[in-house]
Amino acid sequence: MAATNNGQISVNPVSGALGAEISGIDLSQPLDNKTFSDIYQAFLDHLVIFFRDQDITPDQQKAFSQRFGKLHIHPLTEGMADHPEVIEIIKEPEERHNWGDLWHIDLTALERPTLGSVLYAREVPEYCGDTQWSNMYLAYETLSDGMKSLIDGLVCVHTGGADGYKSFKGMQHIDAAAMRAEHPLVRTHPDTRKKSLFLSRKAIKHFKDMTPEESAPLLGYLYEHSINPDFACRFHWRNNSIAMWDNRCTQHRVQADYFYEQRGFEPVRRRMHRVSIEGDRPV
Amino acid sequence: MGATNSVTTQSKLVVRPLSGALGAEISGVDLSKPLTDELFAEIHQAFLDYLVIFFRDQDLGPEELIAVGSRFGELHIHDYTETMKSYPDVVEIIKLPEEKHNWGDHWHIDSPSFECPPLGSVIHAKDVPPYSGDTQWSNMYLAYETLSVGMKRLLSRLECVFEGSHKGFMNYGGMPHKEGPDRTATHPVVRTHPVTGKKSLFLDVKPGRNFKDMTVEESASLFDYLYRHVANPDFACRFHWENGSVGIWDNRCTLHRVQRDYFHELRGVPQSLRYLTRVQMLGDRPY
Repeated sequence: MAATNNGQISVNPVSGALGAEISGIDLSQPLDNKTFSDIYQAFLDHLVIFFRDQDITPDQQKAFSQRFGKLHIHPLTEGMADHPEVIEIIKEPEERHNWGDLWHIDLTALERPTLGSVLYAREVPEYCGDTQWSNMYLAYETLSDGMKSLIDGLVCVHTGGADGYKSFKGMQHIDAAAMRAEHPLVRTHPDTRKKSLFLSRKAIKHFKDMTPEESAPLLGYLYEHSINPDFACRFHWRNNSIAMWDNRCTQHRVQADYFYEQRGFEPVRRRMHRVSIEGDRPV
Repeated sequence: MGATNSVTTQSKLVVRPLSGALGAEISGVDLSKPLTDELFAEIHQAFLDYLVIFFRDQDLGPEELIAVGSRFGELHIHDYTETMKSYPDVVEIIKLPEEKHNWGDHWHIDSPSFECPPLGSVIHAKDVPPYSGDTQWSNMYLAYETLSVGMKRLLSRLECVFEGSHKGFMNYGGMPHKEGPDRTATHPVVRTHPVTGKKSLFLDVKPGRNFKDMTVEESASLFDYLYRHVANPDFACRFHWENGSVGIWDNRCTLHRVQRDYFHELRGVPQSLRYLTRVQMLGDRPY
């Protein structure tokens, strides 16, 4: 994907694998259809898109997100009091772990995992807590033909529950019932029609009709393959940065590099606003 | 480090950390000019504190590159790759546009098979792709410090056998390799930095290795664990090169790897040359 500039917005790739920074746009303003369709095309081409120096309210963040589809309500985390669709992601200074610091796809234990999310940095450290995204089309495409045909038709059993959401001081979890869903390991993107690995280690316990022990060797291999650093980009947040990713064909993880004692720096807070969009059933 | 914000030193050097783990970008210095002792002392302190330091928009020919490297120590000559004809200290790192792999695209220490592996390197980017071929570095002090007390004690008894061969350098179209004898060196898995006095893991990722006095089979599981541990992304920073960028890293307490993200067909990434020049400084024997 080469850099593009249509006279208004510029799209500049940030790595060979995925990701592009878009400039020339103010997301606090309503977008005309032509501009939105350019942004949507960049979203499909680059899988995760970034915007800098955006000054938006929760309502404006919701309005932008709504262009991509119906807004999603998180089943396990409370939204903001006046904006249930907006989750405030908070890492307090003394905390050293993030909401999401292992490679994962969001909410795969739902029957219809989210399409994607719009994440807005409100208050971020000067140099910790970057986020990485990884291109799951590439993870599929770089497999051998034999492996592709072996895994064709495999179904993964995904589970999730409140437990993983309890250890964040600044965030309120919801005690909902455990979730379980079955999804194809190889899914086809509804817009691009391209295949990707739909693989998220923490959520997947085993392949359907197979035991965890039987599933482990292949799942382990595919997981290691999917987190090859060559498939990833890394984004350094500043206050007012926005990232929007396609949850159907990427994984992401947050750097847990809060090495206060070892590296001798002051504890830092990290606060972001996230809005997610409803997705469809993976096929 | 001792600061959350950028540090401005007396001489107007600005040192801006790049991640919580390691790395800092330094501005306010022209490396093509001779460095006063005072200025070099500040740069050297940042090098010790941040393990890898970066400078932008530097104009360095081979002589200026050699001059910068020589401030850190006597230069080391790389022996498995042809160096520049008039400057045997300087390696030209070249990835041809159609090539999809780099010199150094797995997590590694430079030349650990020497009895005295290099102290570090100075690299200058001459002609680099707009958005592929970033380099990552990883902090091996952190890799050591984050282990449990028992694991630290266990590893303190181990030495790793490093083998080197020119065969690993034959596969680069823009870089003629040089035949030379194979080398083997044995170094402690936990080494002590001669200047900072801090301990780090001295281990890079190469399957099939063994610990001294142990078989490959006996060593495999422990290596496997350690390989995963040192490759923890939380220990790493990532640097995007531009023409004129300089990176200087401490080879005694870091690993590094180049992104192999030349997805020309799969992503429509344009084919680009990647051309950098490098000098290395002589190190001492790990202990």
